Amino acid sequence: MVNIKINGKDVKANEDMTILEVARANNIEIPTLCHLEGIHEMGACRICVVEVKGAKSLQASCIAPVRDGMEIFTHSKRVRERRKVLYELILSDHPKDCLNCGRNLSCELQALGDIVQADEARFKGDLSSDTVDLSSESIVRDSAKCILCRRCVTMCNEVQQVKILNAQDRGFATQVSPGNELKMGTSTCVNCGQCTTVCPTNALHEKDAIETVWDALSDPNKKVVVQTAPAVRVAIGEEFGYPAGTIVTGKMAQALRDLGFDYVFDTNFAADLTIIEEGYELLSRLVGFMKSAGKITDKEIEKLGFKDKVREPVLPMITSCSPGWIKYIEHYYNNQLEHLSSCKSPHMMLGALVKSYFAEKEKIDPKELYVVSIMPCTAKKYEVTRDEMINDGVRNVDAVLTTRELAVMCKQAGIDLKKLEDGKFDTPLGLSSGAADIFGATGGVMEAALRTVYELITGRELPFENLHVEPIKGLEQIKTAAITLTDLKDEWKFFEGVEVKVAVTSGLAGAGKLLDEIKNGTSPYHFIEVMACPGGCITGGGQPRSEDRDVRTKRMNAIYAEDEGKTLRKSHENKDLQKLYKDYLGEPLGHLSHELLHTEYVRRNKY
Amino acid sequence: MSKKVNKAIKDLADLTSIKEKFAQIDETYEYRLLVCYGASCISSNCKSIHTKLTEELEKYNLADKVKIKLTGCIGTCAVGPTLTVEPDGVFYCNLEPQDIETIVKEHLIGKKVVEDLCYVDANTGKRIVHIKDIDYFSAQEKVVMKNCGRIDYASLDEYIANDGYYALQNVLSSLNPEDVVSEVEKSGLRGRGGGGFPTGFKWKLAAKNQSDNKYVICNADEGDPGAFMDRCLIEGDAYLVIEGMTIAGYAIGAYLGIVYVRAEYPIAIERLQAAINEARKRKLLGENIFGSGFSFDIEIRIGAGAFVCGEETALMASIEGKRGEPRQKPPFPSDKGLYDKPTIINNVETFGNIASIFLKGASWFNNIGTAKSKGTKVFALAGDVNNTGIVEVPMGTTLGEIIFDIGGGIPNGKKFKVAQTGGPSGGCLTPEHLNTPVDYDSLVELGAIMGSGGLICMDEDTCMVDVARYFMEFVQEESCGKCVACRLGTKRMLDILERITKGEGEEGDVEKLIELGETIKDTALCGLGQTAPNPVLSTIKYFREEYDEHIRKKRCRAGVCADLFISPCENACPASVNVPGYIALIAEGRVEEAYKLIRQENPFPSVCGRVCTHPCEYSCRRAQLDEPIAIVDLKRYAADEVMKRNEPIKELIYPSNGKSVGIVGAGPSGLTCAYYLGKLGYDVYVYESQPVAGGMLAVGIPEYRLPKEVLEKEIHTISQIGINILTDTKVGDDVAFEELLEKHDAVYTATGTQISRRIGIEGEDMDGVYHGIDFLRDVNLDKVDKVSGKVAIIGGGSTAIDAARTSLRLGADEVHILYRRTIEDMPADKREVRDALEEGIKIHTLVAPLEFTGKKKVDTIKCVRMELNGFDRSGRKKPIIKESSEFDFNVDMVIPAISQEVDLPFVGGKEVKMTSWGTVDVDMDSMMTTRKGVFAGGDDVRGADVVITAIADGKKAAESIDKYLGGKGILNKGEKIDIPVAKDDEDIVEHERFEMKYLSPEERCNNCKEVAQGFHRLNAYAEAMRCLRCDRR
Repeated sequence: MVNIKINGKDVKANEDMTILEVARANNIEIPTLCHLEGIHEMGACRICVVEVKGAKSLQASCIAPVRDGMEIFTHSKRVRERRKVLYELILSDHPKDCLNCGRNLSCELQALGDIVQADEARFKGDLSSDTVDLSSESIVRDSAKCILCRRCVTMCNEVQQVKILNAQDRGFATQVSPGNELKMGTSTCVNCGQCTTVCPTNALHEKDAIETVWDALSDPNKKVVVQTAPAVRVAIGEEFGYPAGTIVTGKMAQALRDLGFDYVFDTNFAADLTIIEEGYELLSRLVGFMKSAGKITDKEIEKLGFKDKVREPVLPMITSCSPGWIKYIEHYYNNQLEHLSSCKSPHMMLGALVKSYFAEKEKIDPKELYVVSIMPCTAKKYEVTRDEMINDGVRNVDAVLTTRELAVMCKQAGIDLKKLEDGKFDTPLGLSSGAADIFGATGGVMEAALRTVYELITGRELPFENLHVEPIKGLEQIKTAAITLTDLKDEWKFFEGVEVKVAVTSGLAGAGKLLDEIKNGTSPYHFIEVMACPGGCITGGGQPRSEDRDVRTKRMNAIYAEDEGKTLRKSHENKDLQKLYKDYLGEPLGHLSHELLHTEYVRRNKY
Repeated sequence: MSKKVNKAIKDLADLTSIKEKFAQIDETYEYRLLVCYGASCISSNCKSIHTKLTEELEKYNLADKVKIKLTGCIGTCAVGPTLTVEPDGVFYCNLEPQDIETIVKEHLIGKKVVEDLCYVDANTGKRIVHIKDIDYFSAQEKVVMKNCGRIDYASLDEYIANDGYYALQNVLSSLNPEDVVSEVEKSGLRGRGGGGFPTGFKWKLAAKNQSDNKYVICNADEGDPGAFMDRCLIEGDAYLVIEGMTIAGYAIGAYLGIVYVRAEYPIAIERLQAAINEARKRKLLGENIFGSGFSFDIEIRIGAGAFVCGEETALMASIEGKRGEPRQKPPFPSDKGLYDKPTIINNVETFGNIASIFLKGASWFNNIGTAKSKGTKVFALAGDVNNTGIVEVPMGTTLGEIIFDIGGGIPNGKKFKVAQTGGPSGGCLTPEHLNTPVDYDSLVELGAIMGSGGLICMDEDTCMVDVARYFMEFVQEESCGKCVACRLGTKRMLDILERITKGEGEEGDVEKLIELGETIKDTALCGLGQTAPNPVLSTIKYFREEYDEHIRKKRCRAGVCADLFISPCENACPASVNVPGYIALIAEGRVEEAYKLIRQENPFPSVCGRVCTHPCEYSCRRAQLDEPIAIVDLKRYAADEVMKRNEPIKELIYPSNGKSVGIVGAGPSGLTCAYYLGKLGYDVYVYESQPVAGGMLAVGIPEYRLPKEVLEKEIHTISQIGINILTDTKVGDDVAFEELLEKHDAVYTATGTQISRRIGIEGEDMDGVYHGIDFLRDVNLDKVDKVSGKVAIIGGGSTAIDAARTSLRLGADEVHILYRRTIEDMPADKREVRDALEEGIKIHTLVAPLEFTGKKKVDTIKCVRMELNGFDRSGRKKPIIKESSEFDFNVDMVIPAISQEVDLPFVGGKEVKMTSWGTVDVDMDSMMTTRKGVFAGGDDVRGADVVITAIADGKKAAESIDKYLGGKGILNKGEKIDIPVAKDDEDIVEHERFEMKYLSPEERCNNCKEVAQGFHRLNAYAEAMRCLRCDRR
């Protein structure tokens, strides 16, 4: 503990704290701009400078550690004057076209003006490069808006370790961009969009699909179908003034209907479907493994009904729901693609079903159907354009809106979520289990899969309290669990005593570590869940930007609450899903599944 | 050659044996030839000298008698390639391969020094044979650069023979690490990279931190423009740096040293790597050095040359493979440095001091330098200084000693204006700082910093706003771009500076620069940013008036900011004559138009073609090729040609506007004012106390320089436009000043300096003491026509020279000039001084009078000799009395001519304010005095000054008077004259300056004939065609 003085007040602090942390702990707010607590401590913007008695120059409080006996002044005349000049300097290289800007009223640079009160534009001169990079399907980079806070650089390099966005050049020419004069769309950017969630201005944002969707909605020749991802319902409320972690599933469904969508489906239905397909795929790989180890006979396989389904024994199998993750592995670990599950991501599956099963059922020409996915994700915008995501000449999904974009559309249409009654999803693609809900949080897919697979081979419920696999819950980078298979159903006896090891990671830094283990032959796992965004889809690149420092936990808890609130909590118990198999798909991993629900991957360049 | 046996060096005995053996072999050679192989000499092709030398030695079979050593930089980069012949100590420089044969034949074989190839002192022009006699070398004290220029840079044996590795051996065998740190602390050594942080303390911090691994980093990322000390040291004495780093490694407990050097230094990298390899081979790096159990190795990391990587945290980031950007300190490198391990980072030069400290002791080191700055400092002298190169001096040496005694002063007779230390982080030092002892603290006090040792000298042709812009552009481009203060702050400062230098500056810009500068200093993340505004703030501090001039008057006095003027010569002319214009017209034979073009700005072409002090020629860019254009002579040519025709000059004069202006004094300023006002239609009356018009031109300048006839003609062409000149009319006596004010709507006074300034010594009123101005006036007015005996003139200005030469012409037997400074310091025109010497006038320099004595009239001047010590505010060496050097100088007549003063009794009183200098206080923009409607200019305002400024003031006063009386202030300069378009460069005449004809000393010294006879027509055309036409864009 050290004793320091802030603005004349004696306070105690830990010696590893920064001045900013101590000030905030004592309810003294120091304005910051580039700072992102615990993630990005850069000291680049200098807005948080404070005066320290005896120090020659002002100190950036976000990175300056406290020292015993320090006397700090957070808003002395000197501090205010310097801060104002610094703010004016930032503005001097900013377009200041706030009213035409996508971040008007949600811009941190703009908000800072309220505190600094710069009342004139005294510094004029050249402006930085104003290129707008539209090359990516997911992310737009508008360099004129960039204030070089470098948060995106930290997200891209340290959190995600994709290492695309970096400071290039020097001096005034410095800009953040992919290196080697690459563009976002031609670089190895994985479209995770984490950069867009931390950008304080409009320098990085998702590629807007709002007008495209409005056009579809107003096209009389189109039946517009919408589906919503599990993580959207726990976040979109924030855009309408709900506290973080509020679940607004019903209101969201109603809002979509009010916007004019013809069918409101739930991606969660496809999440359940994914569990079935992916669960069977895991089993088929495990069976393949046992077969190659000579521990299972062809007869036993036939008995299982796996005759045509035995897969190459490539383990661990890794989930494939997260398109940012998919692009990451395609670039950086492109020798390990066979570890990926062949399942499409849930919304692609749903899209494929809408344009086949549903179209057939409702007797609509698939070409007249227009599928819009509301996603917490920016990578999905890219995913829908992939060549693999076409069946019978039509795209599985036509447009993707992020949670943030849906909020904008609602506001454009005068819809205030708070004022809506709860609505419902349409059937048959609207019913889902709690297992599908938890897809939105890291560890959720794994838990959902285990609920189904475990029961499938043991005939018993997953032996965890409340069905939650505690070790793989939470926000740590890599979580692991092991479950020993005992007392199995007869036909699965050959697995008796096997300890199934799983790992879960969110954020690509962790994924890299797990893949390195696989590459080195040291990976002990059978099944790995990877989500590109830290925390999973709840904090996806398309989610509302939040100032709430606990937002991830709150959204995660909401997801688990949604799950627990349901009676239907296992994917394989979804009646509509069972009906789908019965009426249409036949069986998991069957021919039609293969065609509609599974995909393949592309080896991409590393640079 | 015998095969080298590179045995491992294990102990003191090994060192001693190498040392003795080396000395033995060295002594067997009759001559040792030291060829400087520093990078600068390599670029001036010293390799060809070496090759030639080898060939010649072979040819004459001298290879066994003469040894060639390729050395590190000897320092005199300006005169490379160089060759020092030892043991004779003879220094040859500026060598060409063909000189080598001569040296070998004459010196090595013939034992006769080849004087023509020896060093030339830039100031005296004399050849100096021995290295010990060259001020540049003798005034230095070499600790760090001791081996550079002296020993073979590549030879470890020779390094050892010069006490190399004795320090390390001693440290490892008899000191523990704590002792090493405390010895460095005791020495008082401070970081030579610029910050001056105590080295011992830095080592102590790192030494006390426990860690499995620590690092020693040598910062060789030398990036200041013009600085190359570190490069020279690594190239010339890499072992010294290696030894220093090894001692540091031992002191803090590190096993690895890293030299971070920029890729632009390939020679340094190559030689350092070779030295590291050799040291490893001989077990001076690696495991168990000197059997002590201590192991240490050194690696080189090559940086891409980003300036910011000189900042230690950025440097470490760069070594770690990250973008070279600084980070927050604390943590300091001594706690968390490279790869988060305790690290010390010292500059190359700092390590260069270590071995000497242990060889000679901390107290020896402590005795060099000043109280708080110990040891020596190596500087890279660059810019406008004669001896550019590397110098090493004790801390506390004055700036003047470095620049003038060692540096040899400023080239081309220009004035010293400013020295810039610390590069883009530093500040400037002005002539008033020449006596400042250079050390860390005194420089900081002056707003500069020591920096790593770049010392850029700049002469009077330097624009300080442009200097600030240059450094700001440099830091802006080198800013890492991380923090707002540096990235955007420096950019906005640069934007403002660029605007100012383009003539787009606005009122308030300087205040903005200061505010931005202070903000950046206070808020930037790293040292680069925090010091980036220094050059701007420092130039504002010392040269604020230049900023204001650029902003308010759109004028760049140094003639650098090209958007603000036509050409440097036009810019230098106080009257803004379009020099390249009239020179181009002369070159085309359009002489009359040339004359008219001159007269648009200056109604005195004939006069100025003879007596102008021609600041234009000092600014002439042709001087950089050979000699400046003879601008004055060409002006005279144009005027003479037109005058010869005797045709009336037709001028367009505006009709009378009914307003009247009175002008006091018919000198150049008064008549100029009258001329321009007359042409605007004013009714002008000029009151002149003397019987003739012309003022000082008529009564102050001797006939042999400005014939009366020429002056009369010139005044006639002015007055013929309709000006009334009333001679023999003294304002105050013949007409009251108040009466003028009643009669005229405005009054301009330009009476000039009429009174000789008194020296203020005993006997000044004796008979035989004739003050300069009075003397010249009386001669010009024919009141004096004879002088006899021995005449002494006191002073060094143009009045002194005029009085001396006039005395000679009037019959003096001997004429002597006594001057208290040196000839180089004389303010008089150099040509006049030369002419005076040619005519047999004796100049006694460093002499000052104490008293005039004599019985009836003066017969003796009691004198004292002076010596130069320190520097005065003008940057000239200060003369002080030399103790007990009094002597008597016998004379028949004394003419004190030290300066003149204004005499304005008639304007005295409350309404027209005077300055403490005794001049009239005016608003320099309008030339108006504190009394409404009364204007003043020329010497009345400036004190004794030159003709062209008097003319410029007269013109400016005419503009303001017109404005004051309701006009627009736009003068009637006549029709626009088309100026020939500049031709191709091939048409520029490649010939040195064409001289006018002059009378020989014999032809001129006993009469008053005009000495300069003017140009021949063809010479005038050819001279005009030498003009580079700087006016073209």
